[in-house]
Amino acid sequence: MSATPTIAFDAARCDGCGHCMNACVSAKSSDAHRAQPRIQILRDDESGRWGIAQCRQCGDPRCASVCPAAALEKGDDGIVAWDGERCVNCLICTAGCTFGGIAFSAAEGHVVKCDQCEGAPQCVAACTRGALRYVTTANLYNRWGDLEDLFVPGLGGCQGCNTELIMRHTLRRVGSNTVLATPPGCIPGMGSVGYNGMLGCKVPVFHPLLTNTASMLTGIRRQYKRKGRNVTALALAGDGGAGDVGFQSLSGAAERGEQILFICVDNEGYMNTGAQRSGSTTYGAWTATTPIGESARGKTQDAKNLPLLMMWHGCEYVATASTAFMEDFYAKLEAALDASQRGFAYLHLYSPCTSGWRFPSASNIEVARKAVETNFAVLWEYRRDQGLKLSRDIEDPAPVTEYLKLLGKFRHLDATQIAHIERHVAEQAQVLRELARMHPREGRQVVGHQSDLMAVDLDQ
Amino acid sequence: MNEVVEMTAPVAHAASGRIAPDHDAVVARKEPKILVCDANEAAAWGVVLSRPDMVAVYPITPQSSLAEYVAQFVADGVLDAELVEAEGEHSVLSVLHGAALAGARTYTASCGQGLAFMFEPYFRTPNLRLPIVMSIVNRDGITPQCVWGGQQDAMTVREVGWVQLFCETVQEVLDTIVMAYRIAEDRSVMLPVNVNHDGNYLSNGIVRIELPEQAEVDDFLGAPDVNWHAALDPKRPMGVDPLTGGATGPGPALFVGYRRGHCEGMQNALRVIVEVHEEWARRFGRRYAPLVEEYRLDDAEYALVTIGSMAGAAKDAVDAARERGEPVGLIRIKTLRPFPLDAMVAALDKVRAVGVVDRAVSYGWNSGPVHQETLAALQYCPHRVPCLSLIGGLAGADLTQAHFERAIAETARLLVSPCPREPVWLNAEDR
Amino acid sequence: MEQFDYVVLGASHAALEALRAIRAHDSDGSIAVLDREARLPVSPTVLPYVVSGKRPEDRIALRERGWFDDLRVDYRQQAHAAALDSAHSRLRLADGSEIGYGKLLLATGAAPAVPPIAGLSDVRFHVLRTLDDALALREAGRSAGRAVVLGAGLVGMHAAENLARAGARVTIIEMRDQVLPGYFDATAAARIQAAFHDNGVEVLTGRRVERVAPRAGGCTVQLDGGDPCDADLLLVAAGVRPEVSYLAGSGVAVERGVVVDAFMRSTAANVWAAGDVVQTPSFFGDATPAGGILPDAVEQGRTAGMSMAGDPGVQAYPGGVSLNTYGFFGRRALSVGRDAPQQGGADWEVLVRGGEGSDAYLKIVLRDGRLQGVFGVDVLFDPGIMWELILRRVELGARAKALLEDPQDAARALMSGLWR
Ligand SMILES: Cc1cc2nc3c(=O)[nH]c(=O)nc-3n(C[C@H](O)[C@H](O)[C@H](O)COP(=O)(O)OP(=O)(O)OC[C@H]3O[C@@H](n4cnc5c(N)ncnc54)[C@H](O)[C@@H]3O)c2cc1C
Ligand code: SF4
Ligand code: SF4
Repeated sequence: MSATPTIAFDAARCDGCGHCMNACVSAKSSDAHRAQPRIQILRDDESGRWGIAQCRQCGDPRCASVCPAAALEKGDDGIVAWDGERCVNCLICTAGCTFGGIAFSAAEGHVVKCDQCEGAPQCVAACTRGALRYVTTANLYNRWGDLEDLFVPGLGGCQGCNTELIMRHTLRRVGSNTVLATPPGCIPGMGSVGYNGMLGCKVPVFHPLLTNTASMLTGIRRQYKRKGRNVTALALAGDGGAGDVGFQSLSGAAERGEQILFICVDNEGYMNTGAQRSGSTTYGAWTATTPIGESARGKTQDAKNLPLLMMWHGCEYVATASTAFMEDFYAKLEAALDASQRGFAYLHLYSPCTSGWRFPSASNIEVARKAVETNFAVLWEYRRDQGLKLSRDIEDPAPVTEYLKLLGKFRHLDATQIAHIERHVAEQAQVLRELARMHPREGRQVVGHQSDLMAVDLDQ
Repeated sequence: MNEVVEMTAPVAHAASGRIAPDHDAVVARKEPKILVCDANEAAAWGVVLSRPDMVAVYPITPQSSLAEYVAQFVADGVLDAELVEAEGEHSVLSVLHGAALAGARTYTASCGQGLAFMFEPYFRTPNLRLPIVMSIVNRDGITPQCVWGGQQDAMTVREVGWVQLFCETVQEVLDTIVMAYRIAEDRSVMLPVNVNHDGNYLSNGIVRIELPEQAEVDDFLGAPDVNWHAALDPKRPMGVDPLTGGATGPGPALFVGYRRGHCEGMQNALRVIVEVHEEWARRFGRRYAPLVEEYRLDDAEYALVTIGSMAGAAKDAVDAARERGEPVGLIRIKTLRPFPLDAMVAALDKVRAVGVVDRAVSYGWNSGPVHQETLAALQYCPHRVPCLSLIGGLAGADLTQAHFERAIAETARLLVSPCPREPVWLNAEDR
Repeated sequence: MEQFDYVVLGASHAALEALRAIRAHDSDGSIAVLDREARLPVSPTVLPYVVSGKRPEDRIALRERGWFDDLRVDYRQQAHAAALDSAHSRLRLADGSEIGYGKLLLATGAAPAVPPIAGLSDVRFHVLRTLDDALALREAGRSAGRAVVLGAGLVGMHAAENLARAGARVTIIEMRDQVLPGYFDATAAARIQAAFHDNGVEVLTGRRVERVAPRAGGCTVQLDGGDPCDADLLLVAAGVRPEVSYLAGSGVAVERGVVVDAFMRSTAANVWAAGDVVQTPSFFGDATPAGGILPDAVEQGRTAGMSMAGDPGVQAYPGGVSLNTYGFFGRRALSVGRDAPQQGGADWEVLVRGGEGSDAYLKIVLRDGRLQGVFGVDVLFDPGIMWELILRRVELGARAKALLEDPQDAARALMSGLWR
C-alpha cells in the first residue's frame, strides 16, 4: 500500500475567500461542463470557523470498500481514483465516505472527487493565506516504506516521545550494514541494546560509555576500513553524552574527521535519569537540578549551541532537524549518511521530552513544530564546501511565547526571564542569518578546518 | 631514534646477562639483529613485531617517546597499523575498545595521570574481555607535582581485572610485549594485559638488546583472535553489553556468570603465562621466570621481595651480601595479576623472613602494596614468616645497591627482633 | 483434509472486507476463500445496471484474481458449502470434500425470499440476486410486453424502472401501503411513486397477491379484491432470507439470520458471520429495520475480520443504521437512519421542508436534539456524514435549522470541525 501526500487545512488561517474552489473549478472544467469544485470551504456559523470538505485519499478508503462496481481504487500513487467506465452512479460511495470527499455533481452527471491534480493541487497554489498546504511527507513512506525496521517491536519509551520515531526512521534508512552506538540515556533506556540477554535491534549495537561514543566508533570504523569493509558507524546519543561529558571524544573525532554519523537527540537535559540540567537546557527552564523555589527560578544560563560548535570543527556535514519536519529530516539524514562516508557528519535533532518538559504526550510533534516556527530551534545545514544554509525562512517567526506556553517547564517564567529568552532566540537567529549570508568563495580564507574549504569570507 | 645495527656475532642472552640462556632449547636461528636502545624504543619494536591493527596514542612523560617511536614506525612503513592520535587517554582506550570489538589487535601505552584519566574505559576493558595490550611506563602520582617514575599508577589499578606483568630489563620489555598478545588472546584467558616497565629506570636507560626475527614472531603469535566472543560486526549482529536485570529476572545469575568467568580467565592466565614463557625460551632462547623469580633463594635464610627493574640493583646487593656470607636471597614478582599464589608461597616457604621493597604506597595500610600482597600470600605458608615493608624509589628517586644493602640489613634483623609495623622509607635521608 | 487458519465463505462485500482486515493484522496465516460461483465475485447491488444494460457483465467484477494472489489468499470458485461441523471445525463442500479451519467466517449473504403464494411454484418467475438471475431477466425484459413486479423494495423498484425503460408495461404490487417501506418515509415514498406513475408504471400499494396461475407465454396474477393481471414476465422481489441452508445442525444459532455478538461472533466457537447472512441488531435498539444493505455488510465484514485476526484495534459493531442511495428516472432519493415513531413523545422533533409540489423534499428527525434520520428526495447531502453524525450521537442544537436549509454544507461544516 502506498502513502499519499495530503492537502492539509489550517482553519485558523482560512478567511473563506474561496480562491481554492475557483481554482478547482477552472482545473476540472471542460468545454462540455462547468465542474463542481472537489474542495469545498464552508462556514460553521455556530463556531464561526471555516471548515473543509475534500477527499483525504484515505489509506483504507471506505468509498472504495462499498462501491459495488469496483469503480474506486487506491492506486500506487496513493490517490483514490474514480473510474467512469465502471461507475454505475449508485451513490453508495457517498454513504461510505464520512468526509464529504466524494459527491454527486449534477452538472457533470456523476460522482466527483479530488485527485490532487497529478501532484500539483491547484487549490493549494491558489491559497494565498497558507491555509492549505500540500504535505508530501507521505512520499517518504513510499520511498522508504519497504526498508526493514531494524529495531525490535516494543521499545519502552515514554508515551508520546518522538525518540523512538527518530530511532526507527534513522536505522531503517541507514540500514543493516551498520554498527550502532547508543550511549547511556533514553535510547538504551528504551531497550535499544537489550536487557537481560534479550536484544533491542537487528544490527550490532552496544552501550558505549556516556563519554566515549565517538571514540569507540572511531576504532570500529577504522578497523573495518582497514579490512576493506565499508561499515557505517552510527551514534544515537543524548545531548549530555554528546555535548557535555562526552564532548571531548565528540570533538576529537570531529577534528580528526573520523567517518562517523553522529546523531544527537537533544531533549535539553538528563531526562533518563530524572530530568536534570544539562548544557543544552534552556535558560529559565525548570529541571530537577534547577528547581523553582524562594530564591531560584530555573536555570540561570543559556544553552550552548552544540550544532554550531560542531560546525566550527569543520565537519563534513552538520545539520539541525526536527520530527515536525520529516521530509527535511530525511533529506538531512541522507546527506549526513553520505557525508559520513567522507568525514564526520553530525545531525542535531530537537526532541521534546513529554515527561521532563511537562506537556501532554499527544502534543510532541506540535511542540516540535512550534519550536521551529518560533525560531527557538532553527533548522539549518552546513556542508564543508558550501557553508551554512537555512532550511526554512526564519523571517517573521511566531512569537516565542507561543512555544514557551506549551511547556510546563516554563510555567513559572516571569516577564524578565521571557524577555531574556526572546533576546537569546533573536540573537541566535541573527547569528545564523549572518552565517547563511556568507558564501563560500574559492581560494579565500578558510575557516573551521585547516585542510579544507569552509571558505567563509571573513572580510564580510 | 637509534639505528638498527646489524651484528654478525650471535648474542643469545638478555642484556642483563643474569639469566642463563637455555642453550639446549635454542632452535637453529638466523643471526639476530642487535639494537642499542631504551625500553621505550624496545617496547615500540615489540609492537612492530606483534603487528597490531591499531595503535592509539596520547603523549605523557615518560611514555612520550614510546608513542613517538610507534608513530615514526608507522610513518616509515615499518609498522602497518592504523594510528589514532586521540585527544586524550580516555579516548585512546575507547578507540581500542571499538577496534577490538571489530576484530583488531591493538596496542597503547600510558602512565600516571594518563592512566587516571583513562580509568573509565580502563575499568571496563577486562569486563568486556578485550585482549588489548598496553604498556604502563610506570610513573608516580601527583600531587606533589612530579613527572618521574614510580609504580603508584599500576599498583592503584591492580584490582581492575587486567593481567599485570612487570619487567626487569629492556630486553624483557620487548619480549614481554610480544608474549602479552599470546596471553591476552588465549581463548581461555581473553583479558587485557599491562606490560609494566619503570619510567626513567627503563624508559631512559639505553642498553644493547636483540631483536627477534619478524617471521619467527609471526609464527609464535599467529593471527589475531580478538573478538570471537563479542563482536560489533554486521555480519554477525549482536548486542554487546546489554543491560542486566539487577535483582530481577535472570539478572543476578547473569552477572555472577560474568564475574566468575572473569576470575576463571585470570586463573587460567597463570597457566598460560607459564606456557608462553616456556615457548618463548624454546623459540628465542631467552628464559624469564614467568610468575615469580627466585634468586639465590634455595640456601637463603631471608630474602628481599622486589618487582620491576629495581631487581637489578637488588641482585647486586644480594651478591655482595653473599660475598660477606649473609644468607640472603631475592624473590622478584613478574606477574602481579593474576597473583601467583602457589609460586609465591613456594618461594616464601624457603626463608624465615622477608623484606618487601615497594615503589608505591598503600596509604591505609601504612605500607607498600606488594607488601600487602606478600602478607596475603604468607597466610598460605605453613610457617610464620615475618614480613617488613620497605618503600623507596618514589617519584624517580634512585634505589641503589646501598639502599638494598640497608634493606637486607633491616630484613636480617627480623630473625632476632619483632617485625616493626612502620615501613622503612629507603630514600628518607637521601640528599 | 485440507486445513487453513482462516476460511471465509462467500466472496462478496462482507467477505472481501474481512479478508483485508485479516491480512492487515495477520500477514502469515493461511486463508481460503470459498465461493459457490464459477466466476469472479459480483455485487448484487450492481445487477440492476446489468439488467438495464448500463454495464456489460464482463466489467463488473468486484476483484480480479490478482487481488487475492497479492493478499496470498487461496481463492476458490465453485466451492459450495454444504454442511458445517463446528464442533470439529470442519466444513463439507457440495462435492463431498472437507476443509478444516482455525477460524471461519460465514459471509454467504442472502437469497431472495419466495413468498407463500398459491400457484407460484407452477409458473416461471424471476428473482434478482445473482448474475445469472440478472442475465435471465435482461433477456426476458427485451421481449416482455407486460411485466409484474412483486414487491416495491429497492430491488423491485430498480427492476421495474429498467423494465419500463426497456418498453414493457409494468405493474408493481406492494403489500404495504407505500413503496420502499422501511427505506423512506411516506412523503418521500409518495414523491417517488409519483415519478413511477409519470413514467407509465402502475404501482399498486396495499395490495396482496392471492394466487398465480400459468398462462400461455406467462402467467396471470390474481390480486386480492379479484382483479386479475396478466404478465409475460413475473419478478418476485419480496425481500430476502439469509443464506443459511448449510447451517442445519451445525451448532450455529440462526433466528432471522445468524445470531452474532458485537464482534460478529456466532454462537459456535471460532465461527464468525457478517453481512446479509446475519441478524443485524439495530443501532437504535428498536425494531427499525437493520442490515441487508451493502455498507452494513462492509462494516460487519471489517469487524469480523479484525476480531478473527485478533487485531487489538477492533471496535464493537455499533448496530445497523439504514442507509440508502436510490436513483430513479434520473432523480435521487437519499435516506439515513430512522423515522420518528407514530406516537413519538416530546423528545422527538421532526423538521420538514418541501411538501407536495415543491422542488425538493427533506425531512430531518431528531431526538433530544440528536440526529435520528434524514430523508430527502431531489436534495443532495452526504449520507456518510449523516451516518457518522448519528453514530456519534452529535447534539445538533441550533445547527438543526441550518441542516434543514442546506444539509450538505451544514453537515460538512460540522464534520470539518468534529472529525476531519
Ligand atoms: C438487486 C439488488 C440491489 C441492491 N441494491 C442495494 C443498494 O442500492 N444499496 C445497498 O446498500 N444494498 C443494496 N443491495 C443489498 C446488497 O447487495 C447486500 O446487502 C450485499 O451484497 C450483502 O453482501 P454480503 O457479502 O453479505 O452477501 P452477498 O453479496 O449476498 O454475497 C454472498 C456471497 O456468498 C456466496 N455464497 C452464498 N452461499 C454460499 C455457499 N453455500 N457456499 C459458498 N459460497 C456461498 C455467494 O456466491 C456470494 O459470493 C442490493 C441487493 C440486490 C440483490
Ligand atoms: S472519498 Fe472519502 S472515503 Fe474515499 S478516499 Fe476520499 S475521504 Fe476517503
Ligand atoms: S457512484 Fe460510482 S463510484 Fe460511487 S459507489 Fe456507485 S458505482 Fe462506485
